[in-house]
Amino acid sequence: MGLPKIDFVETKGNIVRDCPGTKNHICCGYKTIDLIEGCVLSCSYCILKGYINTPDIKINRDMPYILSQVKETIEAEKTHILRFGTGELSDSLALDGRYKLNRPLIEFFGDTKKALLELKSKWAYIDHLIPYLNPYTVISFSVAPQRIIDKEEKRTSPLYKRLKAARKAQNSGCFVGLHFDPVIIYEGFEKDYEYLIGDIGRILDLKKVLWVSLGLLRFPPRLFDRFLEEGRKNLLYGEFIRGEDGKYRYIKKERMKIYRMLYGLLKKQEEDLFIYFCMEREDIWREAAGLTMEDNEALTGLFDNRIKKLYGGNI
Amino acid sequence: MQTIPITQINVNDKRFCISYPLEDDILLASIKKIGIIQPLILLAQSPYIVVTGFKRLEAALSLGLANIPCIIVNIDEKNALLRSIHDNTGRLLNIIEKAYCIEKMLHMGFSKEETYEIMTLLSLNRHEKIIKRLLDIANADETMKNFILKKDLSMQNAESLLRFTPEEKNRIIEMLIPAHTTESVMREILRMFHIIKVKNGAINFSIMVGADNAYELKTRLKNLTHPILSSLEKGLKDIKLKCALPPNIDIKVDPFFEKEYIDILIRAKNPDEIREALIKLTGVLDVGYIGSIFGLAKD
Repeated sequence: MGLPKIDFVETKGNIVRDCPGTKNHICCGYKTIDLIEGCVLSCSYCILKGYINTPDIKINRDMPYILSQVKETIEAEKTHILRFGTGELSDSLALDGRYKLNRPLIEFFGDTKKALLELKSKWAYIDHLIPYLNPYTVISFSVAPQRIIDKEEKRTSPLYKRLKAARKAQNSGCFVGLHFDPVIIYEGFEKDYEYLIGDIGRILDLKKVLWVSLGLLRFPPRLFDRFLEEGRKNLLYGEFIRGEDGKYRYIKKERMKIYRMLYGLLKKQEEDLFIYFCMEREDIWREAAGLTMEDNEALTGLFDNRIKKLYGGNI
Repeated sequence: MQTIPITQINVNDKRFCISYPLEDDILLASIKKIGIIQPLILLAQSPYIVVTGFKRLEAALSLGLANIPCIIVNIDEKNALLRSIHDNTGRLLNIIEKAYCIEKMLHMGFSKEETYEIMTLLSLNRHEKIIKRLLDIANADETMKNFILKKDLSMQNAESLLRFTPEEKNRIIEMLIPAHTTESVMREILRMFHIIKVKNGAINFSIMVGADNAYELKTRLKNLTHPILSSLEKGLKDIKLKCALPPNIDIKVDPFFEKEYIDILIRAKNPDEIREALIKLTGVLDVGYIGSIFGLAKD
């Protein structure tokens, strides 16, 4: 299979948006920057396949316009410390070695010092960014057991490279983020995740991990048929139900059990880790983390506190 | 129009035939009574090839008619097929007939645009995926085609069924033929069979033996694909039985046990009925039955 076609566009309109979140689930108030639409990596579970009709990739090259939108958004926000990411409609780093898209963003956030930019990726090459990194950029990696990376995350970097790149980012003065998303249930997954978390504890400085997200596999209905057609045993191993938002997700009883396990394993590594659940329900928060999370505002507040704690008065 | 002996027609040449099935009892009865009114269109070749009128020819053959009225045309193959398709669009084509139209067009080298035009005429979405589904349906075996017709299967369900191996497909058809199913129940059942196949690599049909209706089949499949949900449903049913609530009180729980809350409905015609219902509910609340519903979905 050839690589997708890359188109450079100058899209006007809203490049910076609220992360869409999901109905009746608690979301974190993230802001997305639609710098790239589409992805060169080939994850079998990728929800972009359900939303974007073309395999082509669009890169928005109008950086002054993008930065003006980011600036406007930061200035309009009076309550929270905003977190921006470019990894919603694409992988933040996969094309960066070639197109150098992130450098102006990294520099902008470093100069502004009022908000954070998160570069979320499964692609472990950050060497070209090292000279420009500053504490206002968070280098984040999605993590999964290598068994899942081999089968379901084709063309992505192996786990050890992702962790090594994260460590490199920490050594360059950045905080990093870790995203256990999607967590996939398959035969023997518990042990694999235990080893994975052990590896993370050995390789990274957990005091410099700004946040860790946990999100079990969820996907829109049209992907279910695709998984069936492609015979994705790993992806269909667990028991799925339709959530209130219409997406398929593991049945809550299972989700609670797994979140509790992962939360416990991570906290065992570092009690101070800031762990949040991506698009989950109030009772999952209560049961798995022992936290009362009434709404999105409460979670956004937790992020504010976490950032203030680690950045002190520097943001 | 002229009348020719049937022996001058190549009755086995079905290259322009889009009708399925060819047997039509009403047409047969009509031809038996008053004969063939509308002539067949035949391609000017020796022997003649039928362009339109396959059902009439089938009826004539089964009635043992020697001669048949016809119009001989001298057109190329593509035009003959288009004529056959347009001749039939006046009636409601079933999904197999639509599949035949597209399959034959592609076989005869019509362009994609020409094929899409006919798809629009046949109320089909113009999409590669739809063409693929139609080709699979056109090439399905007779058992499958009969099943599609008998159950008036949607294209999606037909395609879903075609993804199984021939043996699995036949076993599933065997089970579903006597079952009364709606389109959505059929879709659910087929999906559950698929999930089991993907998860286990094969389907253990022995577990389904004796499942002689759609509900029973669905229940057994659900126990395999959704063991936790099935056990939660059973748990809820048991709690409701213990509650022994009168028919005017109902406890509604999210069907997937996702929502954090339950709804309690009281239907009342007067304040006394509300009071009675509240007393009953207080009773089951005090013994912990309602509380145990909240505990069901927790680990």
